[in-house]
Amino acid sequence: MKNKIKVFRAMHDLTQEDLAQIVGVTRQTILAIEKGKYVPSLDLAFKIARHFKVNIEEVFTYSEEGRTIDVD
Amino acid sequence: MKKNTFYLFGGCIALVLLAIFWYSVETHLPPLLIESAFIIAIGISYLARKKVTDLIEDERSARITEKAALRTFQVFWVVFCAISIGAVMNMLYIPQLPRQRFSEPSQEILPREILPPRMMGYLQLGLLCLMIFLYVGFRIYYARKYGDWETDEE
Repeated sequence: MKNKIKVFRAMHDLTQEDLAQIVGVTRQTILAIEKGKYVPSLDLAFKIARHFKVNIEEVFTYSEEGRTIDVD
Repeated sequence: MKKNTFYLFGGCIALVLLAIFWYSVETHLPPLLIESAFIIAIGISYLARKKVTDLIEDERSARITEKAALRTFQVFWVVFCAISIGAVMNMLYIPQLPRQRFSEPSQEILPREILPPRMMGYLQLGLLCLMIFLYVGFRIYYARKYGDWETDEE
C-alpha cells in the first residue's frame, strides 16, 4: 500500500504530530504509514482522507508484488 | 494519572509483591497469600491503567500486542503440551517387577526416576520465564516490523 500522506501534509502545512492528534493516533503511527511499514485500517484511512477533503483513493494506492494498481 | 506516575505505581506494586513473597517464604505461610496478592495486584494495575490520561493506544500498538500475543501462544502451547505430556507420563508411571529381579536377586534394581513435585514447580517457573521472553521477543520483532524505531525526517 503506497500513500501520499507526506505530500498532503506538506500541502496543508501539517506536521506528523498535528495529523496524529487530529486522527487520534500516535506520531509514530503516522510515520510508519508514511514509510509503508504499517497499513492503516479502513477507518483510519478514511479519517486521514476526510481530513484532507479528498477521496481515499487519492491518498492511498494499492500495490501488489511490486506492481502498483491505482484503485480509481 | 500521568504515564510516569503509573509506571512508578507499577514499580511500587512489584516491590510490595516481592516483599509479600519473601515474607511468605521466610515465615512458611501458605502460598494462598501470595497467590491472592498477585491476583489483586494485577487487578489494581488494570484499574490504574485505565486512569492514565496521556497514554495513547492506537490501532498500530493494538496490532503489535495482538500479533505478539498470538505468536507467543502458538509457540508456547506446543512447549507446554510437550512438557505436560511428560508430566502425565510420570504421573501414570507404574512400577514393574522386571524378570531381572528373579534371575539376579543380588542386583538391586532402582525404579525409574520420577520428577518430584518440587521440580515441577521449577519447571513451571521456567515455562513462565519462557512465555515472558517469547512475548517480549515477539513484541520487539513486531514493533520493529511496524516501524517503531523508524527515524524521523522532519
